[in-house]
Formats: sequence, C-alpha cells, structure tokens
Amino acid sequence: MMGGDNRFLGMAYVSPYIIGLLVFTAFPFLASLYLSFTDYDLLSTPKWVGLDNYERLFTRDRTFDKSLSVTLFYVFMTVPLKLAFALLVAVVLNYKLKAIGFFRTAYYVPSILGGSIAIAVLWRYIFAEAGLVNMMLTGLGFEAVNWFGDPQNAMFTLVLLRCWQFGSAMVIFLAALQSVDKSLYEAAAIDGANKWHVFRYITVPLITPVIFFNLIMQTVQAFQEFNGPYIITNGGPLKSTYLLPMYIYDKAFKSFDMGYASAIAWILFVIIMVLTVVAFWSSKKWVYYAGDKRS
Amino acid sequence: MGCIRTIIAAALATTAIGNIANAEELRMSWWGGDSRHKATQEALKVCGEKLGHTINPEFTGWDGHFQKVATQLAGGTEADIMQINWPWLPIFSKEGTGFADLNDFADTIDLSQWSADELASSTRDGHLNGLPASVSGRLFFFNKTTWDKAGLPLPTTMEDVMAAGPIFAEKLGDNYYPLEGTGLDASLMIQMIVTQQTGKSFINPETNEVQWTADELKAGIDMYQAMLDNHVLKSWPDMAAAGNVPLFENADWSNGMIGGSYQWDTTYSKINDPLADGQELVAVGLLRVDGAQNDGVYRKPSMVFSISAHSDKQQAAAEVLNCLLNEPEGIAAMGSERGVPSSDVAAAQLLADGGIEQIQVDAQDMVMAAEAPAISAFNEDPDVRAGIEDTLELYAYGEIDSTETADEILMLVNEAMEDK
Repeated sequence: MMGGDNRFLGMAYVSPYIIGLLVFTAFPFLASLYLSFTDYDLLSTPKWVGLDNYERLFTRDRTFDKSLSVTLFYVFMTVPLKLAFALLVAVVLNYKLKAIGFFRTAYYVPSILGGSIAIAVLWRYIFAEAGLVNMMLTGLGFEAVNWFGDPQNAMFTLVLLRCWQFGSAMVIFLAALQSVDKSLYEAAAIDGANKWHVFRYITVPLITPVIFFNLIMQTVQAFQEFNGPYIITNGGPLKSTYLLPMYIYDKAFKSFDMGYASAIAWILFVIIMVLTVVAFWSSKKWVYYAGDKRS
Repeated sequence: MGCIRTIIAAALATTAIGNIANAEELRMSWWGGDSRHKATQEALKVCGEKLGHTINPEFTGWDGHFQKVATQLAGGTEADIMQINWPWLPIFSKEGTGFADLNDFADTIDLSQWSADELASSTRDGHLNGLPASVSGRLFFFNKTTWDKAGLPLPTTMEDVMAAGPIFAEKLGDNYYPLEGTGLDASLMIQMIVTQQTGKSFINPETNEVQWTADELKAGIDMYQAMLDNHVLKSWPDMAAAGNVPLFENADWSNGMIGGSYQWDTTYSKINDPLADGQELVAVGLLRVDGAQNDGVYRKPSMVFSISAHSDKQQAAAEVLNCLLNEPEGIAAMGSERGVPSSDVAAAQLLADGGIEQIQVDAQDMVMAAEAPAISAFNEDPDVRAGIEDTLELYAYGEIDSTETADEILMLVNEAMEDK
C-alpha cells in the first residue's frame, strides 16, 4: 500500500503530463467550444453571438457544404483503401522471406516521412505537369495527365499520398498476424482448407480487434488531414481538395473569424464522434476478442 | 602613474560595461525570396555589429506569412521588427495601436527621409505604424528573349498583347504564351482593365463602397476571356498542372515559355533570378485597352517596417530600423530587394552606387507616372480577395458565365465590406 510520501511522489511524477493535458488539450478544447458561440477576430475581445455561427454554417455557407462533402469523400476513400493495402502488405511481410527485416523497414519508412511537409512538396513535384509520373507515362507512350488542374485527378493524388503512408497500420497488422495461434493454421491445413479459406475464416476474425483499432485511428487521422491539400493543391481546383481542416485554418487565420472557425471545428468533432460511436456499436457484430463467449 | 592607469582602465571598463548593457537581442521577421533573404540577413549583421545589438532573422516565403504574423500578434509573441504588408495595417491595427507609434522615436529614426504623404499612408489614427519600404505597383514585365523568338516587338497596348497570342502558338508552339494570369494576377489584371474602361477604382478608399456596376465588371471579365480564347493566357487548369507553386518556381516561366506577367515592380529580382541564362526581362509599364480613361495602375506602399507594440526593446529596434533604412551600411546591404527605397537618402545612395538596376528604376518610374484613381487597402482584405478569386476560378473552369461571375463577385465583396 502506498504511503502519503509515495502518493505525493507519484503525483509529482505524473504532474507534467496532467498539466500538459490540462493546459494544451483540455483548455483549448473548452475554449474553442466557448469561442464557437462568439464573434472573435483574434485581436480583440470575443463577443457572444449565441448560435449565429452554427446557423450561418448550416443555412448560408456553400463553402462549408462543399468542404464537408469533399472531406467525407476523402475519408471514405482513403480509410478502406489504406487499411486493405496495409493488411495486404502485412500478410506478405508475415512470410519468412530472405531479408524480411529489410523489407519490413523499407515499407515502414513512408509512414514516418509521409505526413511531413517535405514529402508533400516532393509529391507536388512528382505529379507536376513535367514531373516524374508524367515523364514515365509519356515514356510508355501514354498522354501526360493534368493531375492538379483537374478536380478529380487532384483528389486522387491526395488519396494516393494517404495510402502511401500505410506503414504504421501495416506494422500493427503485422504484430497481430504474428500473434495468431499457429495451431489453428495446422488444424485448418489438416482439414484441407486452402490459403484463402485460412485467411478469410481464421486470420481475419482473429485480428478483428486490430482492424477495428486501425479503422478508428485512420478515420480520425483522415478527418484531420491538412498538410497534403495545403502544400500540394492549396485546396483546389474548384475546392475539390478543400478539406475541412483547411477551411478551419483559412477562416481562423486568413479571415480572422476565429469564432466561426471554432464552430466548424466542433462540427468536425461531432462528425468524428458520431462515426466512432457507430463503429463501436457495429463492432459488437464483427469484432472478436480472445475469450469472447459469442460463437 | 599607476593611479592614472588604474583610473583609465576603470573608465574603459565602465564604458565597455555600458556598451554591453545597451546591447539587445532582437528579432526581425519578413517574407520574400532568396535574394531578399540574403540581403536582409547581411544588413542585420552589418547593423548589429555597428550598434552592438544581435538581431535574429525570421524569414519565410509569402505564403503563410500573414497567418504567422496574425498568430504572433494575437499571442504577443511577434518579432521586435516586422515587415508588414500595407493592406494588413487596418486589419492588425484598427485604432493605430497594433504597432508602436514611430513618432515616439523621431529622435532615433530620421523621419524626414519620407514625404508627408508617405508617412500619412502608414499612419492610423495619428499613430505612425510603419515606415514605407517602397511604393509598389503592378505593371507588365515581358521576357524579351521569348518575344524576339516569336519575331514580335514588345507590346505597347493590350491590343498588341491580344494579337501576339496566335503568333506565339504558330511560331513557337502551343505551349508558348505571351502572358500568364490566374488567381491574384488575373483578378488584378481585370481590375486594371475595368479601372481603365470606367475611370473608377473598384472600392472607393474614402467610402469603402464598391464603385463598379455588374455590367462594367462583366466587360472586364469578357476581355479576360478573350485573352484566354486568343492563346494570350494559359488556361487555369493548365496553369494549375504545375502544382501549387508561385510564378518564380514555375518551370515554364524559367525557361521562357511564359512570355510575360503582370506583377509588382518590386518583385523584379524574384521573377528575374530564376530565368534561364541568356533571357532578358523587360518592364513595359501599364498597357492600355481601347478607349481607356487612365492607366488603371494598382499602386500602393508595398510594405512597411513596423516595431512591435509589445516589445520591451523598442528603442533598440528603432536604432536598427534607422540603420537599415537610413544609414549607409544598412542601405548598401539591404540594396533594392524591396524595390526602389522610399527613404530619400537610401534611394540617392543606391542610385549613386549603382545599387539599383536600371530596370528597377524604370519600372518604378512607370508605376509612379501612371494615372489612376487611388485604391483602397480593402482590395486585399482576405474575404474580398477570396470572393473575387474563388468566383473567377468557377468562371475559368466554365461553371458559371461572365454575367453570373460579375453578380457573384459584387455580392460577395459587398458582403465582405459590410463589417469594415
């Protein structure tokens, strides 16, 4: 049992984290809620306006409608693609191949670099009119593609960048795959199951907790994507890549409409929260935990 | 003798301590291109050594600098000395108290080097919020080498530019254009055209009211469309293909495939530096449309140098500012990277020393000589700009016609101006 002195010591040890959480997370979180009900231009005192910002958002703001639809499209495109790709690569890297350590590292590297400004700039040059991708296409006899000038192509480049950052999800999948009990595979082999059956009926059900974890994390991160559209496309063309975090940024730091930006941020938070709740609710039907009594 | 030595040593030590005590560590922020960054860092080093201060540089490109300064000002963490865009003054300093009042440092900064009009342009509610670095205006620069290759003399009217489009396509190829203009460049070019056609500036600087009718604006947009149709300008989708890069990072500009641009005269170095060897950039001034009532020049103080209202080292900052703008060492090091200096002594020194390229002097003369009504600082208000440029983009992608574009722009700009 911890004595008084030890309790004090324990509190002292965790206090930097607690203080950081309160000051840098809890306070801004609550402050933004308050600011979402105000007219605040960053340089003068906030003025209480009640629900005006939310009313404007839902009734008069076409840019918000566009940005929201673009964001939802981006999330619903990137999350499944990224998870599927990460799982596929993890399955391949789970085989005992020569130099497997090197390959695992090589596939993980993009996720370390992926969110950085430098990679976004690199992406911009790769897909530019005279960039690497068009050089390869024309070299193979195809026509060059206008990646950034066409709204659909521009979104594709951002989706591709996000999927390219599959490393962290892949590593988690890999750890899950390695934890699957080998005796189950042996039993399936004896019963004559082929590789697809083994994957579909043994591997996937046993790693559903990890699929669920990655689904939540990737969904939240996709909703918060900023660097890619800001650096590569600046939200264009025609706002086709104008994700909500960019809109929040522009409203807050270009228009100095911090109250309105806070309202958008809270709408984004509610959307993420609802989707997370739905995911947790649905997980009862498809996620299996060790020791689970369901059959 | 020993006693005298001791007294002299003590006096020297006291003086030295005094100097150390006055030495301050300051920060200065600005935006610009590589050549401006190099020159300003050198100037800070020179002035720092002269005054005994240390000045830490904080520099970025244009993109994002406004947001950075806004955040710093809101948090009271801005640099002691800042390069501020002139249209930002009413945003950051509504009542004139957003920056230090430089009148308070008239003993340190030689304010007589600026005209009364220049000082008035950066004064808000009686507070001198900044010292103009230079006056800047939009004008046409053309790549003479490319125009020579097309077998054309440099244009003297908008009609000449319009006629050059098909010739560029025929003689140089479909990827060569006499001019570029999307985004901000497009909107300011249209503003130039409509100002020439109507004799009125877009927003009245006295009343903050939009002065153009929808029909007047539509005529300007239609002329812009004619430039697109005549192969004068590369289309928005094709320009966007280069990625989210400014003109000076655009490969087509560097290799001369874009034959001209409507730019600030102060950006000469920035857009000239990346040109491939052997290419010559020439300023031709404002080009008039048929029946123009004036030159439609978009002219304003380009940028000002301000001192933080929160700084506790304002005196040292004022000393540095005076060195950068009015003292020989600072002037020489700063050079003409911000255009022809507004400070008389700086302009005279650079002209005498050859520190300004002739093309910069010519460009400045063209801007200053051009006629047009005064412009409003709210032309560059973020909401006004977004209303214009977002709508023009819809038009450029064929989503709306010129009538709808004109109506939409006026509606959005009027809405943005309601709160000003």
